[in-house]
Amino acid sequence: MKFSANWLNEYLQKPLKPQEIADLLTMHAFEVETCEKFGKDFVLDIKVLPDRAHDCMSHIGIAKELAAISGLGFIESKANISEDKKIKAKDFIFVEVPSGDLCPRYSMRVLSDVKVAPSPKWMQERLAACGLRPISNIVDITNYVMIETGQPLHAFDVDKVGGKKIIVRRANEGEQITTLEGKTYKLSNQNLVIADEKVAIGIAGIKGGEGPEIDEKTKVVVIESANFEPTNIRRTSKAFNLRTDASIRFENGLDPELTIKALGRAASLMAEFAGGRVASGLIDVYPNKVKPRKIFADVEWIQGLLGLPVKIQEMVNILKRLDVPAKIIKKNKKTFIEVTPPSSRLDLRAQEDIAEEIARIMGYDKIPATVPSGILIPAAKEENLIYEDKIKDILVGAGWSEAQNYSFISDADVKTFEIVKQVEIKNPFSQDQKYLRPTLIVNLLKNVKENLKYFDGVRLFEIGRSFTMVGGNPAEWKNKIAAVVSNKNAKRPAEGLFELKGLVHILFEKLGIDDVWFDDEISSDSSVMPFWLKYTHPARRAQIKSGQNQIGWVGEIKPKILSAMEIKEKISVFELDFSEVIRIASEEREYIPPSKYPAIIRDLAIVVEQTTKIETVLNIIEIAGGPLLQDTDIFDIYEGLVDYKKSLAFRLIYQSDERSLSDAEINKLMEKIIKSLEEKGWEVRK
Amino acid sequence: MQNIIEELKKKFKEELQKVSDKKLLEDLRVRYLGRNGELNKILRGLKELSEEERVQVGRYINEFKKEISELMETAEEKIKQMAEDFSKEWLDVTAPGAKLPQGHLHPRTIVLRKVEEIFQSLGFSVVDSREMETDYYNFQALNFPKDHPARDMQDTFYITDELLMRTQTSPNQVRYMEKHNPPLRIIVPGKVFRRDASDATHESQFYQVEGLMVDKHISIGHFKAVIGEFFSQLYGQKIKIRLRPSYFPFTEPSFEPDISCTFCDGRGCRICKNTGWLEMAGAGMVHPFVFKSAGYSPYEWQGFAFGFGLDRLVMMKYKINDMRVLNFGDLRFLKQF
Repeated sequence: MKFSANWLNEYLQKPLKPQEIADLLTMHAFEVETCEKFGKDFVLDIKVLPDRAHDCMSHIGIAKELAAISGLGFIESKANISEDKKIKAKDFIFVEVPSGDLCPRYSMRVLSDVKVAPSPKWMQERLAACGLRPISNIVDITNYVMIETGQPLHAFDVDKVGGKKIIVRRANEGEQITTLEGKTYKLSNQNLVIADEKVAIGIAGIKGGEGPEIDEKTKVVVIESANFEPTNIRRTSKAFNLRTDASIRFENGLDPELTIKALGRAASLMAEFAGGRVASGLIDVYPNKVKPRKIFADVEWIQGLLGLPVKIQEMVNILKRLDVPAKIIKKNKKTFIEVTPPSSRLDLRAQEDIAEEIARIMGYDKIPATVPSGILIPAAKEENLIYEDKIKDILVGAGWSEAQNYSFISDADVKTFEIVKQVEIKNPFSQDQKYLRPTLIVNLLKNVKENLKYFDGVRLFEIGRSFTMVGGNPAEWKNKIAAVVSNKNAKRPAEGLFELKGLVHILFEKLGIDDVWFDDEISSDSSVMPFWLKYTHPARRAQIKSGQNQIGWVGEIKPKILSAMEIKEKISVFELDFSEVIRIASEEREYIPPSKYPAIIRDLAIVVEQTTKIETVLNIIEIAGGPLLQDTDIFDIYEGLVDYKKSLAFRLIYQSDERSLSDAEINKLMEKIIKSLEEKGWEVRK
Repeated sequence: MQNIIEELKKKFKEELQKVSDKKLLEDLRVRYLGRNGELNKILRGLKELSEEERVQVGRYINEFKKEISELMETAEEKIKQMAEDFSKEWLDVTAPGAKLPQGHLHPRTIVLRKVEEIFQSLGFSVVDSREMETDYYNFQALNFPKDHPARDMQDTFYITDELLMRTQTSPNQVRYMEKHNPPLRIIVPGKVFRRDASDATHESQFYQVEGLMVDKHISIGHFKAVIGEFFSQLYGQKIKIRLRPSYFPFTEPSFEPDISCTFCDGRGCRICKNTGWLEMAGAGMVHPFVFKSAGYSPYEWQGFAFGFGLDRLVMMKYKINDMRVLNFGDLRFLKQF
């Protein structure tokens, strides 16, 4: 909120320089965001936070803070009302408050014979400094008093109030009101209105309505100064998306005692600057007067919390400077400060609030830094996070870079990827961020697309949360590990896919998972179809498994998706379930020393059908080879033999940990393997 | 005879001078020491000499042989060295090295690891957390009742009336305390969300690091020491801390720690807007309401809590001027870390 430095100084014994005001407030009360020259004045933009909005969205509130911080005296503004005994307020207007629960206090004053004209120049200047547009003396005075005291006021032309009656009631269902700006709102009984005998003439605490507004012909003015229940004001203001200077103040709660102070000040200014006669009598519907409350603040507790043995008398003095009555009492050998907060300090509720007042007025700089003592608890890091670091390091080591993307996806993404059961944001800010991602793939593909403009090869990974509907409820679903690769000028089909298979092997090996395999027998039952099948190439994808547990998948992105995203290159991706991976990962690996005995190496070339899976051939070799066959590597694949056949070349490594192997026994094993292969109808080239 | 040998010696030395490779050296050796070489020729002529002369000449020749061998050896060494001239194998070693695959951590990960390491050294455990939260943990348990104006300080993405994307890492204060007994020291890093337009300094998602320390006697002074030590270690220089009053519903008193500007050492510069200070975090003493939410006896325990934006640290460290680059996998950006 904007404040005028000159105005603030009016309440202080001795004026402070604008920059002094800014510095004092920043270090003891509120952050001052700007302090700028404005004509002969300075305007300060002070960030008043919600706990003090009830009293400090006003020049008096801020000036009181300044007085307390600087120790300068505070000078009250004058409100000398001389009531005209010849006219009585109650003869002009009658007030009824049937909805007292939403309006704890409703006060009014009447002025007759006012002359509506421009307000005095000094007032116009102050309003302008605070960002308000001058309108007329009556309206300007209500605004002026609001930014002076914090109490919103509203002025009506009594002659235009139907039946000379003001009723503070809940709106009727479907009742309509047109505000002073000419906008019409449809009301419900959740909204509080100010009405005359027939119609609503204002949305209570938010905005005045068309009808009894002040104009140049207005002769008799009634000023409303009310206290409304904050939550109701806030809900209505939110529902109508209508925030005003008044609603902001009411929704933070206001001191009910403030209504008549503001009213007196406004009446006095109107008498002075609009030539009005103040009708005698105050209209004031205030059935339940707020009672003062007491706080017992434990002195030792406060000293401990602050980390400074502030003297009790100093604490009391600080509170007194804040206009908060306090006295020292002893109870059960303990010293307390009994605090009776003034009605204007709605925020002071318990001893922690008192501790804050003392700390900030004294200054946090007075508190020395003290290294905490106590039992040293060994600092641990949750296992999940340790694994996350480790996985990142492995993937980076293998040449992949870490992306961190938005958790959101757009409507268009949902359509392109045929995503179902997506979690929707109820109040999205933009169309790009309408849903939460169920997979990391979507945004990674967008990364690839952008990067291909500058790089021939793109390798990225991300670890992050995914979201989906589970049993009809939105849920934070799985933490996932995803990687993508795209190479321009790939040398063989699905090159990226095999790169990623290699990456999976590196990752799992380093995590201590030996058992990983790729299962391409994917159920085509559409009812249980996992959604990744919708965007991967049907002939180029596999589930990643360890034992029978599915821990992820790898595949090439379907051409349809790529063309929808306008990507020309092929892209391969994998996505792993983070918690499955770390569940299986075991770091307790046993070291196996290298064998002391020599290895015997044999090569084997086999001709099989083009469609025969290498995995199948390998399995047969390994079963027949037995435990002495320590490793089998495929080192050549030659496709394009006649009759749709291909040649596979394997290198078989035999080794024992216990003895040297003889050629004879290896020959026997080789014969066994060859026999097994030939039984399958495959030709073994000798 | 002696003259002949001396003459031969001289001739040998002259010829040796001219030898430039291994083959010529070998030829020379054969010519002198070979079966039909010069020395053997002389030896064959010895039988025409007297016994006495034979002994003498024999000695000369043996000395000469020895000398030849030594000279040959030196010459061979020299030739060997000459042969090691690699000039034919010259290549341009300034040509670029092979392009090996190279991955990069996100700068946020790099800075977060440093942050975690420092806090762990100060006894704070690192705790994992969730991104989708309930209204209860994100707000109500932290003393933000429904319809409280303080909720406006954090524009929120709602999923349902009771579910939302957390606006802060603070829900983990209550979540953690519900499951653990004090004393405790934790930090909780994580992604948070705000319903806000994206620009260079605002994002709809960013990272926070939450901190919480609870014990019987914890003071503002302790907070000052811990946060001061953290920033000093992070920047590798002595950092001054000042606290400004602030407001958060879940701390009382509430304050914001500023650090002395790391760019100008507090003298005032463009980055600290000439104040000498940089705003770093929100903090305060744990509100008794929060202890109550967690099931602790409110005035039996004291604690401080803080939360700071990790992204700001990353941006300051690497002089990144647009926050949005942190939320996209742009290799032109990532390759720099």
